[in-house]
Amino acid sequence: MQTVAHGDVHTQDTHHGDHGHHDHHEQSWLEKYVFSTDHKIVAKQFLITGMMWAIVGALLSVLFRIQLAWPDETFPFLETFLGKWAEGGKISNEFYNALITMHGTILIFFVLTGGLSGTFANLLIPYQIGSRDMASGFINMLSYWFFFIASMVMFSSFFIQTGPAAGGWTAYPPLNGLRDTAISKGSGLGFDLWALAMVLFIISSLLGGLNYISTTLNLRTKGMTMFKLPLTVWSFMLTAVIGLLAFPALLAGVALLEFDRLLGTSFYLNDIIINGNLLDYKGGSPILYQHLFWFLGHPEVYIIILPAMGIVSEVISVHSRKPIFGYRAMVMSLSTIVVISFLVWAHHMFVSGMNPNLGAVFMLFSLLIAVPSSIKTFNWLGTIWRGSLRLNSPMMFAIGFVSMFITGGVTGIILGSAAIDIQLHDTYFVIAHFHLVMGVAAFFGMFAGVYHWFPRFYGRYMNETLGMIHFWITLIGGYAIFFPMHFMNDIPRRYYSFANFETFNRFEDMMVFITVSAIIVFLAQLLFVVNFFYSIFKGRKVEGEVCNPWGSTTLEWTAPVERLHGNWPGELPTVYRWPYDYSVNGRDFIPQNEPLKPGEVEHQ
Amino acid sequence: MTILLSTVILVLLFVVLVYVAHASELAMVLNGEDKDTTKASRRNGYASLLFLIGFFVAVAWSCKEYLPALLPKSASLHGVETDRLYNEGMILMFLVFILTHIALFWFAYRYNESNNKVAYFYPHNNKLEAIWTIIPALVLVAMAVTGMRVWFDIFDVSKRDTKNMMVLEVTAKQFQWTVRYSGKDNAFGERIIDKEHVSPENELGINWKDAKSHDDFFADKIYLVKNKPVLVKLGAQDVLHSFFLPHFRVKLDCVPGLPTQFYFVPTLTTKEMQEYLSTQPWWQQVNPETGKQKWETFKYELACTEICGRSHYGMQKDVVVVEQKEYDEWMNKQDSYYKTVVQPTLVGNNNIPADKVQALN
Ligand code: HEM
Ligand SMILES: [Cu+2]
Ligand SMILES: [Cu+2]
Repeated sequence: MQTVAHGDVHTQDTHHGDHGHHDHHEQSWLEKYVFSTDHKIVAKQFLITGMMWAIVGALLSVLFRIQLAWPDETFPFLETFLGKWAEGGKISNEFYNALITMHGTILIFFVLTGGLSGTFANLLIPYQIGSRDMASGFINMLSYWFFFIASMVMFSSFFIQTGPAAGGWTAYPPLNGLRDTAISKGSGLGFDLWALAMVLFIISSLLGGLNYISTTLNLRTKGMTMFKLPLTVWSFMLTAVIGLLAFPALLAGVALLEFDRLLGTSFYLNDIIINGNLLDYKGGSPILYQHLFWFLGHPEVYIIILPAMGIVSEVISVHSRKPIFGYRAMVMSLSTIVVISFLVWAHHMFVSGMNPNLGAVFMLFSLLIAVPSSIKTFNWLGTIWRGSLRLNSPMMFAIGFVSMFITGGVTGIILGSAAIDIQLHDTYFVIAHFHLVMGVAAFFGMFAGVYHWFPRFYGRYMNETLGMIHFWITLIGGYAIFFPMHFMNDIPRRYYSFANFETFNRFEDMMVFITVSAIIVFLAQLLFVVNFFYSIFKGRKVEGEVCNPWGSTTLEWTAPVERLHGNWPGELPTVYRWPYDYSVNGRDFIPQNEPLKPGEVEHQ
Repeated sequence: MTILLSTVILVLLFVVLVYVAHASELAMVLNGEDKDTTKASRRNGYASLLFLIGFFVAVAWSCKEYLPALLPKSASLHGVETDRLYNEGMILMFLVFILTHIALFWFAYRYNESNNKVAYFYPHNNKLEAIWTIIPALVLVAMAVTGMRVWFDIFDVSKRDTKNMMVLEVTAKQFQWTVRYSGKDNAFGERIIDKEHVSPENELGINWKDAKSHDDFFADKIYLVKNKPVLVKLGAQDVLHSFFLPHFRVKLDCVPGLPTQFYFVPTLTTKEMQEYLSTQPWWQQVNPETGKQKWETFKYELACTEICGRSHYGMQKDVVVVEQKEYDEWMNKQDSYYKTVVQPTLVGNNNIPADKVQALN
């Protein structure tokens, strides 16, 4: 029996007991769309917030790129918008540091961690494992709202007198450990807000992560064994595992940092001399902070890339009409990455002054972590080989992901070699590496996901023409921005200007080229946003009873087009087969919930 | 005004694009979706091929254009080794990059649905997967082992030629470098970091009672001797900085409260490097600002590479490498800081009123 209220279908199915209580009261608008516990709404909230953050973060980069390209020119409009931060139309050096700091923080944490995992783990885990919702809808809602408050706190720091944090997204002490605006304006209140926002953000991540793991482990529908899970779900769950183990280290790191700042402890400080006055800090070590930070910081890059890998695996398989090549190898390599990602953190610290013997150990593991990554790459190539590729927006972005991941990944192997890293550390070469392998690649994964699951969100397709324009500009533009940086393999990063050095003035024309490319790419992203909202209202509708626009096997596409609270109207689907039965037995695809035919052998 | 205008133009452009996009979507529904997506796949297949070629051409062109603009050959002994590792590694990685990209975009073209109607069910192949696990693993372990040898060579104390070594002390603060030489006695005066010794006039906390400090001097440029090993002792007063000598492939953080050190051997004098560069076409270009060829104004420099605040980008110092003779001449001209600045302020015995000593910089 079904009751229909406000377009939401509530079911009597009590497969999972904690949903029963929804049946009996009508939800107010606020409960349904704002403080919703429905995984689909929470996913949308993360997506929209993430998109807003992405625009802010990208805009910041356009601002500092303007400074890098035309260090001698003035732009009156900058003063109009930024006021005292750009007096005379020129961004100040203090504000430049604030811009790069907030750019990194926002994109790494708020867009590519919160936004990416929050959107797709929430949307896909319950749908793809055949569950009505997350294990705890309430905790899920909390996770979003902590994220939201963290966002607000971080954003508020733009509007205070001394400006936002300005010591880099890595927030090393003592620069960020001394609460003294004479050292850096951003080390004042701005940094406290940064720290508070990060603490809230970490809470959000932990709440979300707990949910993703327990949901995946406990709420799988009948027949859905672990090795019948789509790779997306594997990647989201393993991402959450990394987060659960790594984020507490950052929490501790930031807490001790605030103790130093506010209470005068000396966890990270020792023998500090400011203007000839010896401060009272004694016995701490700045390097301790770096260990804590990178114990999260390195796994963090995998927190960002794993969901993108999962999405790309799924998208590539669906649109190649071919099973993902080496499903088990993919799961194994994901798991291996989880383990090794905790053993490489100090490759960010080869020249930090830590013991060189440590460097050697971390170097070995750093190079080894490239093995699972290369397995995955070859398996993606194996998947598209002899496929029947449908080259639409999601697929092109997935292919673009593989390209970016390779180009950025190979330089990781160079950087991972400690002796080489002496020269390359903190140069534009590193910027090229991590923007390609993580920044652009993860965005490509996210775009692939949005284009691919947009019909699941809104029952409509995104516009293909705009999608293609978006894709080609972003692919070409992304390379135009970051590829040239490989040549700047001695140019220090986080420099406001290079005019003081004879040595670093060799790439002026390249700097301009990069900035122009960045502006074009930024505009293309606005086109994506336009497409997104346009398609919500005007996009081509998905036809048919169930929403299965791409001919996919996975469970999210067995649910009706209209979005239900509880996902499926009647009973939950039962799973009989692995998620990648494409082009098999003369069929284009066989959904996971279709029983095996008599005599058919289960895959693997 | 221009901002307003370009915004308007941009918005118009977006509106037009959306209209076109909407129209093409309507047409797609009319034409039948299947035909249309196949056509789109074909188009993107060709575009992928075009991209592959265009990308490689762009990469080749930029290599031709910009590889000559890289830093010249290493001016230090260990730098030759790290450069070799870098070059070998980059060539190998470049090969991987080329091959995988050919596969990726060629497959996208070759197997798009307009060329290949039916996909081939091929879920796995253990032999293949073993191959592409074991080969990368072996290559990476080999890289780790060779890289480790170089890494230990650089930091291994036992391999150092300490007899003939010159020691230099560099202390960083916002936003300058303080370079201290030990003078003729080849020994630094002791530093004591406590409130008694550290003061605005004596930021380093040098103990002037230690006679070894009496011939120490501060230099506004770093002078090094060709083929003479240097041990740079690094420190920082306020925040993290990083000591970067790009031409010597030297980089190490300066950490407040934690001494660090880097050992290297400069192998080319500034003059020799200039002579070498004068034969390189890229360095023969005339710099319009100075009217000189680039190699003529070439110099070695010290930079800071750990973000340290607003003027992080301004922590520059010149580095000069000379022959021993020229170095000796230069050193003889340097005045001991103690004799010229500290001693004149002394009253009576060797009690030193540190607050009367003039600020260093
Ligand atoms: C193929 C394996 C990889 C290796 C061996 C590797 C190695 C390294 C090393 C040694 C650094 C430090 C460079 C330096 O600061 O001097 C680095 C930086 C970085 N890598 Fe990777 N990397 C790999 C893959 C990745 C992946 C997959 C991601 C992200 C998805 C990533 C993201 C980053 C980021 C964000 C930084 C810069 C952090 C910062 O300093 O701000 N790397 N990588
Ligand atoms: Cu890392
Ligand atoms: Cu500095």
